[in-house]
Amino acid sequence: MSEILRVEGLHAGYGKVPVLRDVSFHVNEGEVVAILGPNGAGKTTLLKTISGLIHPTAGKILFDGQEIGGWPPHRVTKAGIAHVPEGGRLFPNMSVRENLLMGAYGNRESLRTGVLEEVYEMFPVLRERHRQMARTLSGGEKQMLAIGRGLASRPRFLMLDEPSLGLAPKLVDGIYERLQALRGHGLTVLLVEQNIHYALELADRCYVLENGRIVLEGTGEELARSEHIKKHYLGL
Amino acid sequence: MDTVVQSLLNGALMGCVYALITLGLSLIFGVMNVVNFAHGDFVMLSMYFAFFIGSMWGVDAVFTPAITFPLLFIVGVVAYYAIIDGTLRQKYVTQIAVTVGLMTFLRAITQLMWKAQPRALPYSLIQGSIHIAGYNIMLSRLISAVVSILAIGGVSLFLSKTWPGRAIRAASDDLDAASLVGVNYRWTYALAFGLGSALTAIAGGLLMTFQQVDPTMGVRFGLLSWCVLALAGLGSIPGLLISGIIVGAAESLSMALWDPRARSLIVYLIFILVLWVRPRGLFGRK
Ligand SMILES: Nc1ncnc2c1ncn2[C@@H]1O[C@H](COP(=O)(O)OP(=O)(O)O)[C@@H](O)[C@H]1O
Ligand SMILES: [Mg+2]
Repeated sequence: MSEILRVEGLHAGYGKVPVLRDVSFHVNEGEVVAILGPNGAGKTTLLKTISGLIHPTAGKILFDGQEIGGWPPHRVTKAGIAHVPEGGRLFPNMSVRENLLMGAYGNRESLRTGVLEEVYEMFPVLRERHRQMARTLSGGEKQMLAIGRGLASRPRFLMLDEPSLGLAPKLVDGIYERLQALRGHGLTVLLVEQNIHYALELADRCYVLENGRIVLEGTGEELARSEHIKKHYLGL
Repeated sequence: MDTVVQSLLNGALMGCVYALITLGLSLIFGVMNVVNFAHGDFVMLSMYFAFFIGSMWGVDAVFTPAITFPLLFIVGVVAYYAIIDGTLRQKYVTQIAVTVGLMTFLRAITQLMWKAQPRALPYSLIQGSIHIAGYNIMLSRLISAVVSILAIGGVSLFLSKTWPGRAIRAASDDLDAASLVGVNYRWTYALAFGLGSALTAIAGGLLMTFQQVDPTMGVRFGLLSWCVLALAGLGSIPGLLISGIIVGAAESLSMALWDPRARSLIVYLIFILVLWVRPRGLFGRK
């Protein structure tokens, strides 16, 4: 299996406040890897650093063997990485269709290959609402649109930041069913979750981030059996 | 009664030009949150360019935007990279200082080049007036209004139908999200600043068909455009047009019924009143 992303000794933070300390991990092509951890651990910061919204202060980020640490976000996107940010971060005053079009901004070629049609098939409710302003969507629809926008550039590598955030359990089930389907298509995914049950089930491998450091790693099954996870995350 | 309707008509036509000027301001403010104090002075500069080209080569003012539009676009882009870009992550005060500095600079340059006395072009193709139901409508104002509305419509299409236009709207909605889908924010800001400035070139050419220009005009247009923007709020282009017409009509009415020197006072009163009573404007979101 070939490696698509490798992060080595990464340090990053906000201004002078360090958040990530010496984070190292990797993701292989076709894998779903989850980053778990409590609120404030630095999961969002990690994804922002990979996608270029934050500059690393030390360490390496290799995508396809190429160092992308410190690249501006628009360049990272064009290299084939899509980041679905925490809370969706849609363009509220643009229509559903325009949000999807903007998703393809960095790779407009994808539109010619019918990517919108595929997204509409995956989330039929988006097709029904395609002319509506994104701000008028419900919470679940917003999350679907955020994922759809991420897929619209046909990324080789998709990063999802808490797709279950603020959604009712039934909606989360729906979202994770679609993610399972995506995984069936061979997409490589880096998933950040606090909702550990879903993540352990979907992911091939997991890393646990606490206080900006990776403290555990293993397959979903291994972590589900770990005493640390049972005690602190599953409440067993 | 006749004077009231007549001045409302004149003012409403003028208001369409104000709306066009304000569209440029709202592009800049809406996308990059920069309070551009120099916007009115771009209008003044455009009028001088129109005067210069018109008197040098005998081109009619109404056609000068063919040259001044790209020229002001370049001026805007250069101004963005040279002075605005570096202040984006700094305190608000720094940004204000920089655009006030730009305003002072533009005024000083025009004063040096053309001295303080007002300049006007001797004639325009679009002269004379038409009479409808007993009212007198100056052709130059009518055509200015029509061209302004067409230009506003053109910008509206650009923003909704083209990739650079969508990038501008996306960046004004959520800059980080726009960067994540591949928008280069610097490039988009420069484009918005360039386009916002270039729109004043169209307005400047139109205004020179029936007005004179002097170096202090920038203040008036700056105030006018901030007033129209406050009244309209951000995000609605039709709202901008309606607000321009309201401000133009109010200004014109105050001149006819009260005193020509009261025009700026009325505009300022509307500005204050809107900020006080309805800070998001008549048509703004949030
Ligand atoms: N914009 C910011 N500026 C300063 N500190 C921040 C910012 N965003 C997050 N932090 C801090 O960084 C730490 C990690 O936050 P975050 O990456 O959002 O954690 P997580 O996504 O795991 O909940 C937290 O202590 C948080 O307070
Ligand atoms: Mg987070």
